[in-house]
Amino acid sequence: MTTVTANKTVRAGAVLVGLLGLMTMSASAMHIAEGMLPVGWAIGWGAVCVPFLVAGFFAIKKKIDQAPRAKILLAMCGAFAFVLSALKIPSVSGSCSHPTGVGLGAILFGPLVMTVLGLIVLLFQALLLAHGGLTTLGANTFSMAIAGPIVSWLVYKLLRKANAPASVAVFAAAALGDLFTYVVTSVQLGVVNGGMVKFLTIFAVTQIPLAIAEGLLTVVIFNVLEKYSKSELTELRVL
Amino acid sequence: MGTDRYAYQSRLRRVSPMPKLLLTAVVLAICLCCDSVAVGLFTLILMGVLITALGGLSPRVYLHFLKVPLIFLVIGCLTIVAGAYPAGTEMAAAIPVGDSLWGFTPDGLWLGGRIFCKALGAVGCMYFLSLNTPVTDLTMALEKLHVPKLLVELMELIYRFIFVLGSTAANIHTAQDSRLGYQGFRRSVSSLGMLSSMVFLRAWRKAERIYTALESRGYTGSLTTLTDAYRPGWGLLPLTALLGAGQVAIWFAEGRLLP
Repeated sequence: MTTVTANKTVRAGAVLVGLLGLMTMSASAMHIAEGMLPVGWAIGWGAVCVPFLVAGFFAIKKKIDQAPRAKILLAMCGAFAFVLSALKIPSVSGSCSHPTGVGLGAILFGPLVMTVLGLIVLLFQALLLAHGGLTTLGANTFSMAIAGPIVSWLVYKLLRKANAPASVAVFAAAALGDLFTYVVTSVQLGVVNGGMVKFLTIFAVTQIPLAIAEGLLTVVIFNVLEKYSKSELTELRVL
Repeated sequence: MGTDRYAYQSRLRRVSPMPKLLLTAVVLAICLCCDSVAVGLFTLILMGVLITALGGLSPRVYLHFLKVPLIFLVIGCLTIVAGAYPAGTEMAAAIPVGDSLWGFTPDGLWLGGRIFCKALGAVGCMYFLSLNTPVTDLTMALEKLHVPKLLVELMELIYRFIFVLGSTAANIHTAQDSRLGYQGFRRSVSSLGMLSSMVFLRAWRKAERIYTALESRGYTGSLTTLTDAYRPGWGLLPLTALLGAGQVAIWFAEGRLLP
């Protein structure tokens, strides 16, 4: 009898440790890892991305046809997005995570350009850093290069139209875009095996502080950019 | 950065990227379609053997690389497996919370294990590609596969610029860190914001300079390069067939042994 209860305590302890581990570790789980999605869903999410990518591709093509140097600039912007996502962002809870750069990218380059740049950046992240994967590229592109940036961009434009101060608009755009990216990721993971609510609760606990941190970071970046590179921002038609 | 360094050192570096891509695609597709523990582990181990024996990577480095996506996988699978169930459900391990039990059911554990093994196999396939093929070879292959030229060119440029900007960012980070720029949350955020915006600024200026340099050398809108002289790598084709057949055989065997 005593061994049974002891066994139970040990098991309960293991569960508790596992759940606690979940809380701290998911701080870095913004990409869906390689092989996590079944074939059907992997292809499906890829197909969903196609129209957005085609639209983004032609938007970029038009820009480059108008001004050939846009190609070099866009490539630099893509590389900047990659480098940004490789930085470690400090979080309130003490753990570290990587900024998604979703909000900043959408505000600076617009959601259409972000789709294509995002796809390339995600492909490189999968190949070079093993963040994300080849089969989950479609799902990751949809959450991080399409859904998140569109929300960020809409929030930014709406708030600017409503005459909100730039810093408020940037903060809200970055934080909400970040959160929405995680919501989409949770839905993508949850819809396969059920348990969407589980994913959402875990993400809510860990991601809200991170989203706030990313929002603050984006405001700081934006302020410095406004101070030192007004001409570049005007060229991008952000201001 | 990451796998890149090892890809250039690989013994398969000079082999044409096409058969490598084909092998990855076939093995990856079968691994995902079978959706079984045995096939996943089989794929993982065989890919490890290929990477170390054919590519010449040391097993220690391969194991180190396997650890990277492990965190993502463990979180994903634990979240699928763990859950709250009504009292009285048959549980493998659980803690009671109020009226319900929080923990793992045997079925859930089995499902989680299957996804975990399948994903590990898929990760092995991805590593076979990325640890043996430099990105420049891959973009060449994509161009041959009729991916739009503009996209391929953007990829090549971004790939190059990643390293330029990465070293800039690393230098700034070292400078800030050595001046206690990352002590505490407030300071970290402001340092990181400063770093990011400076990197952006430098990226922009650098892009302008690169464009000027290109234009003065007769740039007309596209950068064309010659492909490397590759070894054809026909040997990889029967290997691909063999691996695929092995996976399917294991899948059937598992189906027979486990009802």
